[in-house]
Amino acid sequence: MNDIDALRPKLDRLQRGFLLIGVLGLAACAFGAYSNWTLFLRSYLIGYIFWLEIALGCFAILMLHHMVGGKWGFIIRRSLEAGSRTFPLLALLFIPLLLGHSDKGLYPAVTGSSFKAFYLSPDFFTGRVVFYFAAWMTLAFFLNRWSSQQDTGTTDGLLHRFQALCGPGILIYGFTITFAAIDWVMALEPNFFSTIFGMIFIIMPALAAMAFVIIVTMLLAKRKPVSDVATPLKFNDLGNLLLTFVMLWAYLSFSQFLIIWAGNLQDEIPWYTVRATGGWTWVAMFIILFHFAVPFILLLNRPVKRNMKALAAVGGALIVMGWIDLYWFIVPSFYPLGPRFHWTDFVTPIGIGGFWLAFFVRALKSKPLLPLHDPRFEGVVQHG
Amino acid sequence: MAATDPENAATLVSPGSEVLGPGHTYGSVTDKISSIVLTRGTGKKYKAGLALAIVLLLMLNYAVTVLMAVGVGIFGINVPVGWGFAITNFVWWIGIGHAGTLISAFLLLMRQKWRTSINRFAEAMTLFAVACAGAFPVLHMGRPWLAYWLFPYPDTMGVWPQFRSPLVWDVFAVSTYATVSLLFWYVGLIPDLATLRDRATKKFKQVIYGIFALGWRGSARHWKRYEMAGLLLAGLATPLVVSVHTVVSFDFTAAIIPGWHSTIFPPYFVAGAIYSGFAMVIALAVPLRKYYGLEDFLTIRHLDNMGKIMLATGLIVAYSYIMETFMAFYSGNPYDRFMIMNRMTGPYAPVYWVLIAVNLVIPQVLWISKIRRNPLWLWILSFSVQTGMWLERFIIIVTSLHRDFIPSSWGMFYPTRWDWMVFIGTIGLFFTLFYLFIRFLPMISIFEMRELVHKTAEESTH
Repeated sequence: MNDIDALRPKLDRLQRGFLLIGVLGLAACAFGAYSNWTLFLRSYLIGYIFWLEIALGCFAILMLHHMVGGKWGFIIRRSLEAGSRTFPLLALLFIPLLLGHSDKGLYPAVTGSSFKAFYLSPDFFTGRVVFYFAAWMTLAFFLNRWSSQQDTGTTDGLLHRFQALCGPGILIYGFTITFAAIDWVMALEPNFFSTIFGMIFIIMPALAAMAFVIIVTMLLAKRKPVSDVATPLKFNDLGNLLLTFVMLWAYLSFSQFLIIWAGNLQDEIPWYTVRATGGWTWVAMFIILFHFAVPFILLLNRPVKRNMKALAAVGGALIVMGWIDLYWFIVPSFYPLGPRFHWTDFVTPIGIGGFWLAFFVRALKSKPLLPLHDPRFEGVVQHG
Repeated sequence: MAATDPENAATLVSPGSEVLGPGHTYGSVTDKISSIVLTRGTGKKYKAGLALAIVLLLMLNYAVTVLMAVGVGIFGINVPVGWGFAITNFVWWIGIGHAGTLISAFLLLMRQKWRTSINRFAEAMTLFAVACAGAFPVLHMGRPWLAYWLFPYPDTMGVWPQFRSPLVWDVFAVSTYATVSLLFWYVGLIPDLATLRDRATKKFKQVIYGIFALGWRGSARHWKRYEMAGLLLAGLATPLVVSVHTVVSFDFTAAIIPGWHSTIFPPYFVAGAIYSGFAMVIALAVPLRKYYGLEDFLTIRHLDNMGKIMLATGLIVAYSYIMETFMAFYSGNPYDRFMIMNRMTGPYAPVYWVLIAVNLVIPQVLWISKIRRNPLWLWILSFSVQTGMWLERFIIIVTSLHRDFIPSSWGMFYPTRWDWMVFIGTIGLFFTLFYLFIRFLPMISIFEMRELVHKTAEESTH
């Protein structure tokens, strides 16, 4: 029942299509970089973090699933694994940012002998980037390898190994993404600091990735083998997880806002005054409405969660909102008066996304679309 | 097929990991739990424990009487440390309460059936902890008899609460929490009260339990409405787990004092609350299961799961400590940096390092599954965590206040014997209530255990 061959030609075509989009997009990016390096870097940062978030979220949810078990992981596990296998590509795509780190139009210089200057110095910055990717790739490597072993029927001690790795793995994920968020996003405004910032960036990828795998599952569910197990109840569970992440995102974001607003201190408040005035007011309102209020109300409804197309539509909207949210996080650091679009803002996510999706499809088709021989999923297929 | 529930199979594969011991029937479950209340009577140990708790409660009464007569000057608080033990105790107690709500409401919504046997006494723990917590802000007021001024009622003095202050939000958050917890607990008790009514042999008991059972007959319609009410209350209570401690954290973060004004406080306080709450559940569950022979109902699996939750929430707390310290240096703000250095090396440094040891370092043994599955070790560890969480609030409150921006306004806080008497007195209050609870009400939900018997039997015959 786990036959992927019927789908293979379709997936091959998809992969080639994405690759073509990626090549064209990155070619346009290269032109953008040639014509204006700083503006290109600013766009590239958003596009890059947007796709990295989806990969990281897949990786985090995969580890969470191994830790707590749960039937909800069965249907999305292969998508999560495929997402976590894109880290080598993402490491490669980080190179422009590494080259651009010293560009003053991206990250303002922090000089002097302060801890911040030391922390954000180019060498330390590069060292941390290497460490983050090494940690993510190592963990993802073992998770995928053991999962393939499980498919062949070897189950001896694998569950225990998964759990033994994922406990510390989630811890490592939490800390690496926290510091990555500080390095890559918070450092755009060196005077700003917020202790909850890392936590917001722990949740954002999970939200984006959950929305992404819901869409992938909806597409796969049109054919066998996924169509056999894609019951409304499964999507209900996935919808509940999506709702949880939406609420967590709102909770953490609101906490940060309320505390900084109440404190009204000179180091912190400019971050919000810029993002809530001028042209940014509307962006902020839009985010509150469509990254929280509307999806929150929609996801409270059972019919929406049980209809996979409706759920995937909400997921798609949340992915777009994730990009807008990221834009609102990053761009006001460069343009405090309001949004100013540059054509590379739109080309970079497409270029990176084309490559990333091609890699994702390649990883997805290399394994059966549903995990085999996992004792935790015994009875899931039969019982639906 | 499906001999095990796949949802829990990961932990069910090892022996000794069931949520209910073997061989139980509806009757044996009902007998076992109701006999503790109806026929077993009180042992010597029970009486000794209750007596000690009442002695501590009397001490609380004495201290509070003196407090009313003399004023808050009997405490060690003064400028600059205006919040001392009282607020530390408030945050500590309210945090302990959170595990009860989490177990009863959140885990119910998550369909985690292992919660069944611990939810009743965890909810009772919540109520009693909230009662202890609620006393402190009132006692701390100076003129506690004017506490009702906190409510927005149309009075002739033109006094109106400052709604921008999280301290006023607290009044609403905590009183809502207390109300919903009480309702949830009481509604959960109704079918069991009816069971006790039917099983009681003395007229007096039949009448008392009968009144509180509200005429429950156990008809299908009763159950249908009942289940719906339970779900709705769970839905109401779950956000309260987060909102109450979030508001408590705003009490601190809305100020601009280094050490208080930190954006991570809301999730950090919620995690810390659940951390200490589960520690308290373990501290109560281990002796209860031993003394009343409830090992079949409060299994190793329960302890293991609670240990895991403690580990996870403890790590979130650790993450928050690390972020606070990192940001103090990263921010380049001299006051933030001084605050952290003062905690680590200042006059309260020993307290700080004990806190780090008992709250962060020692609980890391929970990574070892043998320790999570050993009741005695877990019980000892729960005291480490509770001490740690109390010290954490003490450190947050006292070290942030005692040395603020201008050295000329620095000072020290030393607790007086009245501080200690009120604090230890509330522990007496808590245990007095708890002892009475296990004597007069079923500490494990009888009807939910019967449901569990049914489900377990269903699974094994599949």
